Amino acid sequence: MNYRKRPAARHWILTCALLILGACATDPSGERELTYGLTLSPTGIDPHINASVELGIPLSSVYDTLVFQNSDSGEFVPGLATEWSISSDGLTYTFTLRDDVLFHDGTRFDAEAVKANISYALDPDHRSQKAASMLGPLSAVEVLGPHEVAFRMDRPYAPLLDSLSQVYLGMASPSALDTWGPVDYQFNQVGTGPFRFVEYLPNDRLVLERNPDYAWAPEIYRRDAPGIDRITFRFFEDPATRALALESGQVDIIGELPHHQADRLAGTAEFTVDPVHIPGQPLQFIFNTERTPTSDASVRQALVLGVDRARIADTVFGEYSPVADGLLSARTSGFAPDASFPDYDPELAAELLEAAGWVFPEGGSTRRRENDELMLDLVVPPWGSNPEVGQLVAAAWGNLGAEVALTVAPGFGPLNEARADGDYNAIGMNSFGTDPDLLRPFYDSDGFFNWSGYRDPELDTILEAAAESFESPEQREQLYREFAERVRDEWLILPVRDYVNLVGSSQRVEGLRFSPQGWFPYLNDLELQP
Amino acid sequence: MTRRLAILWLAAIIGIALLAPLLSPHPPDQSLFEPLTPPGKGLPLGADALGRDFLARMMIGARLSLLLTGLAVAVTLILGGLLGFSAAIVGGRYETAVNWLSNVLLAIPGLLLAMLFVAAWGPGIAAVILAVGIGFAPSFGRVTRTIVNKLMGEGYVMAAQASGGNNLWITSRHLLPNSLPQLTSYAGTYFAWTFLAVTTLTFLGLAGDPSIPEWGALLNSSRSHLQSAPWLAAAPALAISLTVLAVHAIAGKEPQR
Amino acid sequence: MVSLPERPGITALVTLGRRLTGGMLTAVAAVTLTFFALRLAAGDPVASLLSQGLTTPEQAEALRRSLGYHLPLLQQYLHFLNNLARGDLGVSLYSGQSVSAIIGSQLASTLQLATLSLAIALPLGILLGSVSSWKTRPAAQRTASTLSGLATSLPVATTGVISLLIVGLLAGGQARGAQLWLPALVLGFAASGPFARAVHSGLESSLSSPYILAAKARGLQRGRRIYWHALRPALPAAIALIALEAAFLFAGAVVTETVFSRPGLGRTLVRSILQADFPVAQGIVALAALLYVGSQVVADGLGWMLDPRLRDRG
Repeated sequence: MNYRKRPAARHWILTCALLILGACATDPSGERELTYGLTLSPTGIDPHINASVELGIPLSSVYDTLVFQNSDSGEFVPGLATEWSISSDGLTYTFTLRDDVLFHDGTRFDAEAVKANISYALDPDHRSQKAASMLGPLSAVEVLGPHEVAFRMDRPYAPLLDSLSQVYLGMASPSALDTWGPVDYQFNQVGTGPFRFVEYLPNDRLVLERNPDYAWAPEIYRRDAPGIDRITFRFFEDPATRALALESGQVDIIGELPHHQADRLAGTAEFTVDPVHIPGQPLQFIFNTERTPTSDASVRQALVLGVDRARIADTVFGEYSPVADGLLSARTSGFAPDASFPDYDPELAAELLEAAGWVFPEGGSTRRRENDELMLDLVVPPWGSNPEVGQLVAAAWGNLGAEVALTVAPGFGPLNEARADGDYNAIGMNSFGTDPDLLRPFYDSDGFFNWSGYRDPELDTILEAAAESFESPEQREQLYREFAERVRDEWLILPVRDYVNLVGSSQRVEGLRFSPQGWFPYLNDLELQP
Repeated sequence: MTRRLAILWLAAIIGIALLAPLLSPHPPDQSLFEPLTPPGKGLPLGADALGRDFLARMMIGARLSLLLTGLAVAVTLILGGLLGFSAAIVGGRYETAVNWLSNVLLAIPGLLLAMLFVAAWGPGIAAVILAVGIGFAPSFGRVTRTIVNKLMGEGYVMAAQASGGNNLWITSRHLLPNSLPQLTSYAGTYFAWTFLAVTTLTFLGLAGDPSIPEWGALLNSSRSHLQSAPWLAAAPALAISLTVLAVHAIAGKEPQR
Repeated sequence: MVSLPERPGITALVTLGRRLTGGMLTAVAAVTLTFFALRLAAGDPVASLLSQGLTTPEQAEALRRSLGYHLPLLQQYLHFLNNLARGDLGVSLYSGQSVSAIIGSQLASTLQLATLSLAIALPLGILLGSVSSWKTRPAAQRTASTLSGLATSLPVATTGVISLLIVGLLAGGQARGAQLWLPALVLGFAASGPFARAVHSGLESSLSSPYILAAKARGLQRGRRIYWHALRPALPAAIALIALEAAFLFAGAVVTETVFSRPGLGRTLVRSILQADFPVAQGIVALAALLYVGSQVVADGLGWMLDPRLRDRG
């Protein structure tokens, strides 16, 4: 009897078996390899041009900076610059550079390289989102000698050393910058750091390899040279997948774990959770002062008082994250405890709204003023649990008698677009850093991130003066305190929580430490347990 | 699933959907409890990750899921019905053109076609309704056309045409009443498919606003807490499954896909 | 009586040719629909880059020109077709990477899932379809019937989540969803429905056909041998379905990848829609349309070659 068997099925099974075998990647023996989980794939990863902190996680180790900052003391220590001096008027910074440093492409690092990097960041066509503003009133970079360079400022600028210690002003190879140009350079980055940039496939992976020639590690690194041969970064935008990725061995380290998952992992022996405080601005919603009803300061005040911020911080972030009380997180220098935001007071909030003319109509649940309903548009970014916070804030404002439309912008681009369209009463955005001058782009009348639309020349003056007081830290603090009080009294933001990054790592990882900015790991110091 | 069970379940769901605001003691959007509270006293389905009464959210979700599905099915029936009727009655080149257009639309797998529409409009509730509604229209249009074509071959219709009745009159007097029984028998199946499509699209996050407690969206947000709070996933998964099965059990025929 | 397979004659080849052309035209039409839908809805994609502050107006204009957006829509469409034929699907608005590179890098994962799911779906479907016609064992028949009903109606999202819950419970809390077997099982189960149905209806008709009665009359025992005889004519229809399943699996993969957090084209597509990255969305949907139509043509061809009875339906 000749009946046909099922050849199709048999062939399929064989194909599958082969595919599965092929799918199991084999590890080249001897190489110390590590996988690090990132949480979002930024639009662009050129540190001179783009502002995302995510890019800094891998790239802080591809570049060295002129100076580095000690996490404990806050002091600036030598990096690519061995020593520096500041003129008495604060207008000239002179740096002496190392002469033994090579870029990953073999070219020499020198004063011309520094000048080229700064020009690249300041080029108006490159539209730098962060690096350029971090340089403040820089007017020129002068090459004084092959290893001596001077930064000439128009006005004194206290944050300069802090800026020069961050990856956004890391030193890239001028010939690479020239060869690739601002669009393609991000896929072919060349620095002097402990790791070399190998490849970047957006939404897929970014690969770094040990730099065998690295011989100029700054003193803040505990190791002289990297302890890992190869690091692969993978992207996990979906928070639900992060703990799973760690537990299944897909990654060895991953940040921004949701706190429920972090709780669970912290309780196990195989994994460690490090809560890392991130200085800078807290998770916050910025009010649009150019759109009804948030153009009215008393309405803004009501919207702040009507939200139980402490409870929201607790609900969404658990015990790991304290409620935010100001423009800056409590651990940032320049934080003003006296200018803190008041606690939840729904009665006062209701009174303020009534006084502003927003009353409940007969039997209605939404307040009205004349013929208008109290409508609010809340736009939030997708990262950092903003959507969850947004839902609870929207619910709280709903309780106050507002009709709230919540939109989650899928990325920075759409977020900025929504902002450009002006269709928002509150929008979520914040920046991180150790120097309080990071507030300037948000509150200066011409600031790139002035999304509140609030322009006050007096505030501009305070910010400038604070930036200029390079000699007196006490004076700086005083100025920022004054600034914080004024912003609070205008009710320009709704601060929610101070950022704490929950980083999970597996047992085999040792030596995980972070820079003062909180986000950036010292990849050089990582080691794997055998 | 037996028909009796199916009817019971659907009646319960519809009842809940209609009475939701009255039935739940707590509002679905307010964070009143400890996050991830397990089911217990006063909270039959516990609390979600943001401390909201999950049963309240499921009940509002019933209303939303049924509403969205209903609207989408309406779009399918009206658009598909119009196309199918007109194609059958007018015939000729128009019918060929409609047929060809349907083929083109059916050339893209259903879910992807819906996603294409959402991509064009941008994520949101309206986009999901329209995408699913339009996505199933060609299929229903084809069913309608077949039925009406068959009817047109019936004796009494041809007699009506011969006695000089115009198309509109023939449609309303003969075609519509005689086709409705058959068409409605398909409507149930389309409702099941549409419900499935809507919950899948919201599950993928294409509905925009994350606070909307539609069942597919609830299923999506439950994924972060599968181990710590399995009830957050079990409830929408079972609710969606049982509803789809119930509608299939009650519905009549299935058209050729 | 089933006739012996004939050698394809001229008329048969003409039919095949007609089918192929029809299929290609439909494919082109589907891809056209994709292009126009997205291009018309998107307006000017470069505008979004502008509003992000990522380009100056001059740069935006230059970009617009380089991407051909200043040309009339029809011309853009022709360029698109031209590029499509050469395999150039444009570049991502988000990252600047070429769309074909993006698809290429994500394809393997989706292919793995689809292949393994198909490998599960076919035998499972045939099994369920066969058993659901097994009148001598009503309990088994009912079970198989119910299962294949569940396979077709239940959404993959819910079966996926439920399976994760069950595995989590059994494995004592640690659900290692990154592995391939569970998503393939879930998707395979869902995909087995059409196979089961085809086999079931094929069996129902052939079990009562004269062919089988004749075999019984020749003294063949009941049971499995009868089954093989009856099954054989039902198989070509099922095997032809394999090609059609390709499209179903692609759509199913979109959901499965999200449920199990696997990388792949499905997840890429969802992300590109949420980010309004039209070239990527367009590329993936166009690819899927081409695949679907292609598989339909293949399915027609296969069924036509395997089962002469289908040839009558020229």
